Amino acid sequence: MTAPQVPSVTRRIEQDRVDRYAVAGRDPNPIHRETPEAYAGPFGRPAAHGMILLAMVSEAMGAAFGLAWAETGSFKVRWRSPALPPVTVTASATLKKDQDGLATYEVVVQDEHGETLLTGTAAARYA
Amino acid sequence: MKTDLEFSDLRKGDTFAEFPLSVTADEVLAYLDATGESPAIWTQHVPPLFLDALVVAELLAQVTIPKGVMHTGQEHESHRAARIDEVLTVRMGVAALSEKRGVTLAAFEADLRDAAGEPVTTMRISVMVAPDGVTV
Repeated sequence: MTAPQVPSVTRRIEQDRVDRYAVAGRDPNPIHRETPEAYAGPFGRPAAHGMILLAMVSEAMGAAFGLAWAETGSFKVRWRSPALPPVTVTASATLKKDQDGLATYEVVVQDEHGETLLTGTAAARYA
Repeated sequence: MKTDLEFSDLRKGDTFAEFPLSVTADEVLAYLDATGESPAIWTQHVPPLFLDALVVAELLAQVTIPKGVMHTGQEHESHRAARIDEVLTVRMGVAALSEKRGVTLAAFEADLRDAAGEPVTTMRISVMVAPDGVTV
């Protein structure tokens, strides 16, 4: 067996998705919503939860590894820039190391302009 | 043990009161609807990142986070998949805390265990707090 290829995940992030995530993820921070705090904040408008971007990395790894992603997966990421809706973002993974059934990928999330929003590594066992 | 804290009260090594965490099937579906992921493989198990999101939410509930906070990093290791409706116990503490030129960097580590005390997930949440009015 060899390490699976991890598919890219592309998604349009609109404010309504961010609002739904605020409820489902129990993160009511006003900087993510249409609030005065968001417009007075560091980005001048609402920013999507970084966890929505990271969820796309998790989705990509789940698509490649199935339940093994939840059983054996790990990741280490940093957010580099905010995603400001509406924005189209793509999460992608490149195989970095394949040893003893453990596949490690470099992961990145970029917006449609090529700006990097998130970087890191993700790994899971396939054998 | 810590509850109802101000961020400025935190010290490295502080621990929070343990708390239970369980996730229903409806909560998984709502989470997946929000993130856009298909529920196909999450009919019996919890998407691993949802556990991180809920622990971050609990951190926000237990600690009064100042304006200017940014979630800068996240680490996660799964030891096994968490099942829907399974009750886990979360232990969380302050793993790192430093301040430089008015910017505070903090890291929180959480350990999720099952009813038998076996590890399910460990994670590390990194945040940065800039002083009011400073954009970093």
